[in-house]
Amino acid sequence: MWIDVAIKVGLAMVMMLIVINIAGIHSWVERKQSAVIQDRWGANRAGFTFRAPLLRWLNPVMRPIIYLGLLQPLADLMKLVAKENWSPVGGMKWLHASAPFFYLLFAFVGFSAIPFGDTLHVAGRDISLQVAHLNVGFVFIFAMAGLGVYGIVLSGVSSNNNYAFLGAVRAASQMISYEVTLGATVIGIVMVYGSLDLQEIVRGQGALLWGWLPKWGVFVQPLGCILFFTAALAETKRIPFDLPEGESEIIGYFTEYSGTKFGMFMLADFVETVMVAALTTTLFFGGWQFPYLHASGFVFPWGAQVAVGHYGVVAIQVISFLIKVVLFCWLLMTIRWTLPRFRYDQLMDLGWKRMLPVSLANIAVTGLVILLIEAL
Amino acid sequence: MENVARKPGTVTPAGAPKRGPLSFWERIYVVEAARGVWITTVHFCRNMWRHTLHLVGLAKDKQAAVTVQYPEELRYVPPRSRTRHRIVRREDGSPRCVGCMMCETICPARCIYIVAEEDPDPNIEKRPKRFDIDLGMCVFCGFCVEACPEDAIRMDTQMVDLAAYSRNGMILTLDQLLAGEPAAPREATNALGERVHG
Amino acid sequence: MPKLTIDGREVEVEQGTTLIEAARRLDIHIPHYCYHRGLSIAGNCRMCLVEVEGAPKMMIACHTQAADGMVVHTDNDKCREFRASILEFILVNHPLDCPVCDQAGECKLQDYYMEHGAAGSRLDEDKVKKRAKAKQIGPNIMLDTERCILCSRCVRFTDEITHTHELGITERADHSEITLADGAWLDNRYAGCVVDICPVGALTDRDFRFKCRVWYLTAVDSICTGCGRGCNIAIHVNRDRPHKAGGARVMRYKPRENPEVNQWWMCDEGRYTYKQIDHDRLTEATVEGRTATVEEALDATGAALRKAGDAVGVLVATTATNEELYLARALFAGALGGHAAYLAPPQGEADDLLILADKAPNTRGAQEILGEQAADPVAWVKEKGVKAVVVVGEAELTGLKAEVDHVAVIATHPGKATEQAHVVLPGSVHAEAEGSFTNLAGRVQRIRVAVPPIGGAVETWRLLMELGDRLGHPFDFAFEDDIFAALADQLAPFAGLSHESLGRRGAPLGSGTTQPAEVA
Ligand code: SF4
Ligand code: SF4
Ligand code: SF4
Ligand code: SF4
Ligand code: FES
Repeated sequence: MWIDVAIKVGLAMVMMLIVINIAGIHSWVERKQSAVIQDRWGANRAGFTFRAPLLRWLNPVMRPIIYLGLLQPLADLMKLVAKENWSPVGGMKWLHASAPFFYLLFAFVGFSAIPFGDTLHVAGRDISLQVAHLNVGFVFIFAMAGLGVYGIVLSGVSSNNNYAFLGAVRAASQMISYEVTLGATVIGIVMVYGSLDLQEIVRGQGALLWGWLPKWGVFVQPLGCILFFTAALAETKRIPFDLPEGESEIIGYFTEYSGTKFGMFMLADFVETVMVAALTTTLFFGGWQFPYLHASGFVFPWGAQVAVGHYGVVAIQVISFLIKVVLFCWLLMTIRWTLPRFRYDQLMDLGWKRMLPVSLANIAVTGLVILLIEAL
Repeated sequence: MENVARKPGTVTPAGAPKRGPLSFWERIYVVEAARGVWITTVHFCRNMWRHTLHLVGLAKDKQAAVTVQYPEELRYVPPRSRTRHRIVRREDGSPRCVGCMMCETICPARCIYIVAEEDPDPNIEKRPKRFDIDLGMCVFCGFCVEACPEDAIRMDTQMVDLAAYSRNGMILTLDQLLAGEPAAPREATNALGERVHG
Repeated sequence: MPKLTIDGREVEVEQGTTLIEAARRLDIHIPHYCYHRGLSIAGNCRMCLVEVEGAPKMMIACHTQAADGMVVHTDNDKCREFRASILEFILVNHPLDCPVCDQAGECKLQDYYMEHGAAGSRLDEDKVKKRAKAKQIGPNIMLDTERCILCSRCVRFTDEITHTHELGITERADHSEITLADGAWLDNRYAGCVVDICPVGALTDRDFRFKCRVWYLTAVDSICTGCGRGCNIAIHVNRDRPHKAGGARVMRYKPRENPEVNQWWMCDEGRYTYKQIDHDRLTEATVEGRTATVEEALDATGAALRKAGDAVGVLVATTATNEELYLARALFAGALGGHAAYLAPPQGEADDLLILADKAPNTRGAQEILGEQAADPVAWVKEKGVKAVVVVGEAELTGLKAEVDHVAVIATHPGKATEQAHVVLPGSVHAEAEGSFTNLAGRVQRIRVAVPPIGGAVETWRLLMELGDRLGHPFDFAFEDDIFAALADQLAPFAGLSHESLGRRGAPLGSGTTQPAEVA
């Protein structure tokens, strides 16, 4: 009994570690990647040099760290934490303080349903590498994402600021609009793999089509993949879908936030990005699957086989999952630094008039194809 | 998405390329978005590659970043740039300014403050007792230089790095203005202080 | 009466009218330097040359008398050409001094040059240097002979208006220059006027010199408070550049033409009274010597006056406006059933030009409105049995405090009155409020707001209205002209007058009831 609890806690810790680290590094990546994309240097000043004679030898070591701006996130953090804990005059103090917690909490909780590896057999136990084994996995994730809206709405309402409130309203309507498409696109996946359990879906993606193509979501549901990715991007409220916040000009729901509380919104933003990357990986890119890797090792379509031990297989799976997630994070960042923001009417148009009909059509076509295949 | 293309023949902003209606592939956006992502990715990879080469001392002539790393690197300041003001001195060292307040009048930022007084020499008659320029407000339009009937105020010190720890610190007094000297145009330098062309 | 045509328009003028004046009737401005309506005609500058049809040469408009059937052109090509030439001639020896010249901005040379000259100099010779550059010729006057165009206005002024003959023109031809008569010093009581009439920057005011530039100034019509003459003036205020002259708001007074009062002149004594506006002002209220807010001070006085019942009185100095006098009368003598009197105006020297012995601007107004003078305030208080008294303005009040329970003073400067006060309220000077004065000759003339009340001071009429509120007799005047309307309503001499009808030059008492004389 206790050992089960300990295992779950351990798994949760691992997941948490993965998410927090990827999300935390995002603030550095965002600065540096954008700089490199835009032919700039990016952060390369934050740092310090040692004056004490005993520590001077460390200075050459510090140089590249400073040069790469690695201390910048630390400086950012120090600035945010050291700022005054301020709440707007006339606002609802407690709601105002708790809104970022809600938002961050729901952003994190979703990860519990994401599998980051297959079953690990250790000491006679079968440990599914997933924090919460839910047979309604992604319904749970969507539910949590939906609850995240509360954090935003609360932040807008409690700020006693019309701009913040309007930002929150924009966020709420945007998220609700795109959740519909999000749900609709995933139905195709569910139909193909016949399960709502994310672990099962990932396992289903281990099969091969025509004997050589991994049966990943992206290959059986290419349209669904694009729609899902777009809708999920809109869910993160990042550029080009950043109308709720519009940091640079239109003022959004966290206008009245500063310091640590603002930092939590920022962090939640990054966590959501990781979430989108993880979900896309899980649903469309085989999750922890590595092409041609089976429980016993690699079996290539041309017949060659490489035996790999069980731990080796699990390790490859986890690493494969991580690499995919990181690649998607990178893609999300690149998109963020590429596309200009939509107009609000364009956003609504895109959601309701383009993506929703197409995703519904996708369900119908998927159903038809499945029926055809079964009939043959 | 809205078809935002202009009809052929409609007015486009000056210099903007004329564009016909969007094609189908442009309208579904995905392809165009992918193209955009491709461009940024190419930039990313190219610059990353160059940065890496630079780290090992190769391809130094190919820039990875176009930004100038001030203050280690300095940009070239053209000789006719309007830089920090100075007040020209007569041969005896006294200010050439006669306190006519033309510059003060023309200044669109209202950042010149002159108080005039009687000069002991009746042939000069008037001189500035106080002459302050609040650089915190100055917009470096150079009107003051144009307006001066005595050619007493000039903006040729080539000083562009103006900073202070307080607003009051940004105010130049008569003494500071008189201490200014005309300077040669500033050359561009790299991080090592070597002259570069650019 | 001769009838003539100027620039194609006919005008009929009295016999003996000059062309320049006839043109004036038609709103045609003929450029001129030496001509001044207050002085004799010199005809030496030649700037006013006009073409008279049939005349063999150009005629000077300032001296040629209109004749029947004359056809005059003031603005044809020939006139303009002559003007440009005359201007070029005048400028031959004129220095390029505009940057240091105080006249710049209001200089007739500059104005006409931009209008009629604006040609490059053709002079190859050196300019003739005169002797006096920036030379003091009187306590307040600087002379720069290089800038002088020898129009002789200043000489005629000292000869004809003040009869003091300090100035003259010496040397000859292009070496002529304005000189002080032997042993003379330009210190007559109207010396400042030569600066006003000098069309260029040859004569400048030492007090105003280099303080600021004239284009920084805003002119507000007002009345000089120096004596009972009530000379019309313009208050020149510097609103936007507080770094000038140590933050002074009022830079100078300039006389304003009013043929009924001061013609074109004003005396030096009055000219420099502007300094009082910013100097040593009361800027906060005090109660029993302690600083208080104006509200607290008003409350204290209000309570004391209430306690005194109808044993209240008001003593108003003759520096108060008609409006303030009226409020004092309506509140104390009217509503409260107490007493109101005015304080004796300070006396001084008089002369036969403008200066009057009565050194207050509104003695006549006080006579008309309050009627009763309290020559000795202490005796007056005793006699009337007044227990609480409000003093508006400055006065010698030694011993007053001992006679009554409460003395409140509405004053602008600390002085003998404020020393005697339980409560001091900071009031406004004439430059800080709208209102009107009645000069000794009985002419009611307006003053206007040039600057807001200094520091924590409040317009005096507002303070009186506030007192009314606290005593249960609120006035419902929104602006000063409402007060004047009530005053005109109740006092016969003022009947029919209003701020609007007073205009820029005022109107005599009693004139409101008769048809206004036709305005020329
Ligand atoms: S450069 Fe322009 S803004 Fe600056 S002091 Fe001169 S006139 Fe004023
Ligand atoms: S315009 Fe020239 S001479 Fe006149 S006040 Fe300014 S600096 Fe002095
Ligand atoms: S008198 Fe007039 S023209 Fe002559 S220097 Fe003075 S401002 Fe200039
Ligand atoms: S000093 Fe002035 S008023 Fe007198 S003659 Fe010369 S220009 Fe005329
Ligand atoms: S104004 Fe007529 S000659 Fe001077």
